[in-house]
Amino acid sequence: MTGIGTIDEGRVGHACLIPDSEDHLWEATAAFVADGLAVGERVVYFENDTADDLLGRLADDRVPVSGALADGGLLIVPTERTRQLCAFPVPDIVELMRQTICESESEGWPGIRLAGESRELLPIGGLRKLVAYETAVDGLLAQHPSAGMLCRFDRRFFDDEAVAAMREIHPTELVTPALYDDTLLRVTGSAATALRFAGEIDLSNRPQVRRVLETALDAALRSPYATTDITIDLASLRFIDVAGAVELVHAAETFPDTHRLVLVGARPGVHRVLDRCGAPFAPQLEVVPREEGE
Amino acid sequence: MRITSTPEATRLRHGVAFYDTEVDLLAQLVPVVEAALAAGRPIALALRPTTEAALRGQPTCDLADAVALTRPDGPDGPSGQTLAARWARELRTLTAAGRQDVCVVIEHWDAFDGSDGGFWTELDAAANVALSDLPVAMTCFYPAYPLHEAVLSGARRNHRTVLRSGRIADNADYLSPQEVLRASPAPAPMVLGPPDERRTFGAWALNEVRASVATMLLAAGFGRDRADDVVLAVNEIATNAVEHGPGDAEVYLWLDADGFVAEVHDRGVLGNPLLGLMAPHPAEPRGRGVWIARQLCDSLHVWANAEGTHVRLRAAP
Repeated sequence: MTGIGTIDEGRVGHACLIPDSEDHLWEATAAFVADGLAVGERVVYFENDTADDLLGRLADDRVPVSGALADGGLLIVPTERTRQLCAFPVPDIVELMRQTICESESEGWPGIRLAGESRELLPIGGLRKLVAYETAVDGLLAQHPSAGMLCRFDRRFFDDEAVAAMREIHPTELVTPALYDDTLLRVTGSAATALRFAGEIDLSNRPQVRRVLETALDAALRSPYATTDITIDLASLRFIDVAGAVELVHAAETFPDTHRLVLVGARPGVHRVLDRCGAPFAPQLEVVPREEGE
Repeated sequence: MRITSTPEATRLRHGVAFYDTEVDLLAQLVPVVEAALAAGRPIALALRPTTEAALRGQPTCDLADAVALTRPDGPDGPSGQTLAARWARELRTLTAAGRQDVCVVIEHWDAFDGSDGGFWTELDAAANVALSDLPVAMTCFYPAYPLHEAVLSGARRNHRTVLRSGRIADNADYLSPQEVLRASPAPAPMVLGPPDERRTFGAWALNEVRASVATMLLAAGFGRDRADDVVLAVNEIATNAVEHGPGDAEVYLWLDADGFVAEVHDRGVLGNPLLGLMAPHPAEPRGRGVWIARQLCDSLHVWANAEGTHVRLRAAP
């Protein structure tokens, strides 16, 4: 049955994610991968033309991966192989997964995390095959407590019936709340004054962006403990229009003298729009460009 | 579309001089240039090649440091507003360095009259807006008897002063650029063939417009940064169309030998015929999008007719 929780007790188990948006999907997947790498586990990602999305989001999150890619800590199974696997009968797929888990155990990895695309199963075998596969995987993971798996079911590809069936099979559903998500823009926050924008800001979500900024300032002003900086991580912001950039600059200009708006990780395109909209001339606005590292 | 303008102090001095003959033209032009040189003022010019050669031939006119402004031209035919925006950029650089007002001399050239000479009316009206905040003294030399009547009537209405016998006098016929363009609207550019892609969009599908443009630009070999800038330019025009127009708008996209072309059509009424020509005031949060789009494109032409408001923009890689 469905239990709702976050993966932070060390035991991942068999978790499902029903993402609100593309940015939610990569946020949760990258966090799952990063958490595994951080504790020295092996992570295996079955890609389906999506490795760039995952690696892009990990780079946005400043998660170093080159070491893990080199020493086998992070294995990316190529698209062709992923699709091939999905075409196998369920017992064969599960057997290959069992081998993967045992291999990693015998190589001495303290744990293994698996994630990837199971949507290729649908066109091949329909919901029946998907249910059989996930049920078998659940049994396999029960025998290997050090192994965990994140299964993502995007509503664009999985209908209500499939999503309900998947929730039934997975012991855990990964839920990561957002302050706002309209599928174009996702706003999350680790604190009321530390926000993160992922996606695109344009005419369609301009009022919501303004509201988010007002709420953050309000929280900063009300709490005696809150920092005087309101920080927004823009690393995963792919587009901002002129009015959106003006909104950010204008927000900083209307802050009380004691407070600042700090925008970190802006991509070059976003940074240029901010510059054209007066960001360099707003004393209470600091734009910290993205560090091009890994 | 909506008028957004913050009145700024006008620093531009924009006058006209009419000449009968080539001899008369030089007789009026040379003293203007001599006076600027004597005062140590920077000079920028857009003259017919024969006039420029004759001017440079004058022993009193050392034009070694003079800056040539961009010529009216372009694959869509000349666009007065595009050229005025370009001149504004060129002159802004010149005035930023300067201690002195810049002297600009312009001459009518019938090669760019098009079908009716309306280009010159649009250019002068657009210059009144685009250059308004620049410390520039611009004198435009027009024939007293041009082929197209529109050239003369536009010149009479667009200039605040008129140079007669070496003296500057107020021009009683002057009208604001808005009034001039209400009577003589900016023309439609030359018609292009069927677009490579067309899309109807509303406020909630701007991301799809951006995705189409980005895909086209990257496939055509535009670099990442240039593509980002052009996507922003199209986004701003498209945003304007659905924000101020009544409902859905349409975007047409082309790739041709000169690069990328986009047109955005809405059914709104063009309130301000000189959209985005003036640098927006920092305190004015609106009206900046079209101005930035003009800075990012090689040309951006706005026109209106009974069907609505139309914008064509061009960008090379």
